[in-house]
Amino acid sequence: MKDRLADALKASRADFTEIRIERTWSSSVSFRGKRLESATASEDQGGFVRVADTGYGWGIAAFTSLDELPAMVRRARELSRAVRLDAPIRLAEVPPSQAEAILDLDGDVRGVPLAEKRRLLEGYNGEMLAVPGVVDTQATYRDEVTEYWFGNSEGTLLHELRPEITLSGQAIARRDGTIEKGLESIGLRKGWNSAPNHAAGFRTVAERAAALLDAPTVTGGTYPVVLDNELAGVFIHEAFGHLSEADFVYENAQARDMMTLGRRFGRAVLNVGDNGAARGLRGTLPFDDEGTPTQDTVLIKDGILVGRLHSRETAAALGERPTGNARAISFRHAPIVRMTNTYIANGQGSVQDLMKDIKLGVYACGAFGGQTLLENFSFTAAYGRMIRDGAPAELVKDVVLAGSLFQTLDRIERIAGDFQWNQMGGGCGKGGQFPLAVTEGSPHVRIEAALVGGDVPA
Amino acid sequence: MIERLVAAIRSRADGGDALWRQSEHTTVAFESGRLKSCGVTEETGCNLRVVRGGKVGVAGTTTADLDDLLSRALASAELGESVDIVFPRSDALPDVSTHAVAAADASLDRLTSIGAELVSRLTRPGCQISVSIEREIATTRVVGSGGADAGYDATGVAVSVDLARFAGDDVLFLSDQYQGTDLPTARDLDALVRTIDERYDRALTVVAPPEGALPVVFTPQGLAAILLPVRQALSGKVVLQGISPLGAKVGETVFDAAFSLTDDPLLPLRPASRPIDDEGTPSARLPLVERGVVRAFIYDLETAARARTRSTGHGTRGTFGKPVAEYSNVVVGGAVLETGSPALGGGLAADVRDGLVIDELIGVGQGNVIGGAFSHPVALAYRIERGEITGRVKDAAVAGNVYELLQRIAGFGTDGRWQGTRWSPSLLLEGVSVARR
Repeated sequence: MKDRLADALKASRADFTEIRIERTWSSSVSFRGKRLESATASEDQGGFVRVADTGYGWGIAAFTSLDELPAMVRRARELSRAVRLDAPIRLAEVPPSQAEAILDLDGDVRGVPLAEKRRLLEGYNGEMLAVPGVVDTQATYRDEVTEYWFGNSEGTLLHELRPEITLSGQAIARRDGTIEKGLESIGLRKGWNSAPNHAAGFRTVAERAAALLDAPTVTGGTYPVVLDNELAGVFIHEAFGHLSEADFVYENAQARDMMTLGRRFGRAVLNVGDNGAARGLRGTLPFDDEGTPTQDTVLIKDGILVGRLHSRETAAALGERPTGNARAISFRHAPIVRMTNTYIANGQGSVQDLMKDIKLGVYACGAFGGQTLLENFSFTAAYGRMIRDGAPAELVKDVVLAGSLFQTLDRIERIAGDFQWNQMGGGCGKGGQFPLAVTEGSPHVRIEAALVGGDVPA
Repeated sequence: MIERLVAAIRSRADGGDALWRQSEHTTVAFESGRLKSCGVTEETGCNLRVVRGGKVGVAGTTTADLDDLLSRALASAELGESVDIVFPRSDALPDVSTHAVAAADASLDRLTSIGAELVSRLTRPGCQISVSIEREIATTRVVGSGGADAGYDATGVAVSVDLARFAGDDVLFLSDQYQGTDLPTARDLDALVRTIDERYDRALTVVAPPEGALPVVFTPQGLAAILLPVRQALSGKVVLQGISPLGAKVGETVFDAAFSLTDDPLLPLRPASRPIDDEGTPSARLPLVERGVVRAFIYDLETAARARTRSTGHGTRGTFGKPVAEYSNVVVGGAVLETGSPALGGGLAADVRDGLVIDELIGVGQGNVIGGAFSHPVALAYRIERGEITGRVKDAAVAGNVYELLQRIAGFGTDGRWQGTRWSPSLLLEGVSVARR
């Protein structure tokens, strides 16, 4: 395959050519209640060619028939020449790499019978079903191994083998008209050896769903709020991370003003970054989908915006350095600027230290979902606890945090020293590309004042 | 290729079906007002389902290795649950036009010129305009052991426009999309431009939000949040799980007598139209709610078998995974009429003393959708004062329960239009909770 790729690059008459080829073996099992929904194995393969002639725009061809590779390189060049540009596309320099990056498959999932995967998931699903009050469940196991080749006309040639495994569960508890849910989600760049020993997590979310049946809805209002590791990670990814993606600002002067490097985004305790090279995480890869090595990119240092995430194109446009954040979910898509493993860096002290001087507040934990529309965000926590006299008290539900990003970042006043990565499944969506494997991490974070509560007065 | 699969199903399984689809997808993208890229995606895929010993298995592939596909499907069936799927016979198919020659034949230059025209008409100082033109040409074939063997060609065109404006920390995002089987007409492009123009002009003034239980106009775009719980509740699978609030309500009046909802895969030249579904069941128009009365749920073959009923022809499948029941074209209000005026609020604001027009909400789909309760901050909303739209509202949130709100619809707008695969005018709903944030 490497030779076919190299030959196609050599034969290309375009000024710049890049080619990606992927072959993915995957399997998935899902349960709904006691019933197996499906157990299936799939095979997907295809190629992606992107070319640009000087003075012309991008020509792109994606295809499932690999025999067509040489024809598709010619096709992409024709498409490029249909796009005349006054300002040429410039790509920031990246030294060419040649690498064999065969990640540890950690027990190759392709050698494990589907029946064994089913048995494992049936066990996790059974943990949830066994909890009193739980009336319905969904459980999903998914694995894949992708063999990946990348090359460009500047001399980069890469070959990688990447494993991935995800497990998820949803427990629905119901009593009369009240319905509550609990979600478990695990995503690892690992193999079969890492699939066992997650039963406790599934049971915990089911027990929580049942416990929420008796929990009151949080009383809406403005409170001091402590976010747990998971919700703080989701918050920094959704509310801030997307703004740090340079494709959002590189052609827009006003957006660039909003995201000027040097602008204060928070207090001195706040440090934020994105690390595609962190060891062993789901968002980790040696190179991005333009062949740029991944790295740890600091975005906010001591409260000040100091960096952003780049592709080669956005880096050249802004005169900054590429950061290895050009990613595509598959050969069907062009690489765009994406996050990898995004984090709030460690502070000091424990979660108890964050709470001890809060008379009345909310401890918001886990995430059911979140959406931001630039400065506005809305996040639904999985559950919460009231904080009373410095300690977590009763369980509360329907904890929705809404507000303005700039205001809320500025109100992060304390950050604990209990950093942890959330190895979650699911993924990030942008520009029609979903789900992209990412990870988020954070310590506990305290926000001086935030608006809590979904219910609004009638 | 698919003939070999049929033979294989007959010799090595008790029954089954397969979907084969070949598509070419062309995209022309203008970023920040400039043509930036042209791309094409060619894809061929096959999804196979087999039944052996009463158990069902599924597998998919984009490679040409059919033996491997079949053995994976059989392995899947070994683990599968027993379902008594009745594969459709070879039936006469309804006539529906799904293919537009002009769209299929359109050159790259033609697609590019549509984008260039929109960019020039939408450009204004301080705003970033992005436009994309997408055209898909697809061939679908479905075969099954019941005798079904049918196929059709389809085209699809989508024209998307986005406007972004940043003023300090105030951000304004506007977007609209044309979707059809054929290229957009001059009238379709006018409607896109007018929709953006009016929303933009009215957004320049920012006013304080009202508060209380108020009348709210939900535009065809804003209605997504209101219709989502109803769509979920009318899915046969959700009914089967026993969690649909409408599951036991067939024949009962649940909504306003003016509210009807119909799934119609036979509308000519709509992107979700097709003569058969992806399991070979012939397409038919299906009234879901008629004049406020719940009439039917959508089913694919498997959920129909489990519910001991017949598929309504809503089986939808991709190359990977098993078929699921999905809507085709959904029509709100009885019938598709002539496309109305794109005026914001569809003329309904005139009757409102104090209220809102909602065009987009944040976080739709989060939380407990199925119960019908919703609570969302607004993404794009306008205030109505004494019958006039007076400006854009920020920092407001709306809440309510769609089953209560849809019991009484205070008005239907004159702005009926397609929003993707959904046809609807604006609806005026009363007693929506509006709060300032």
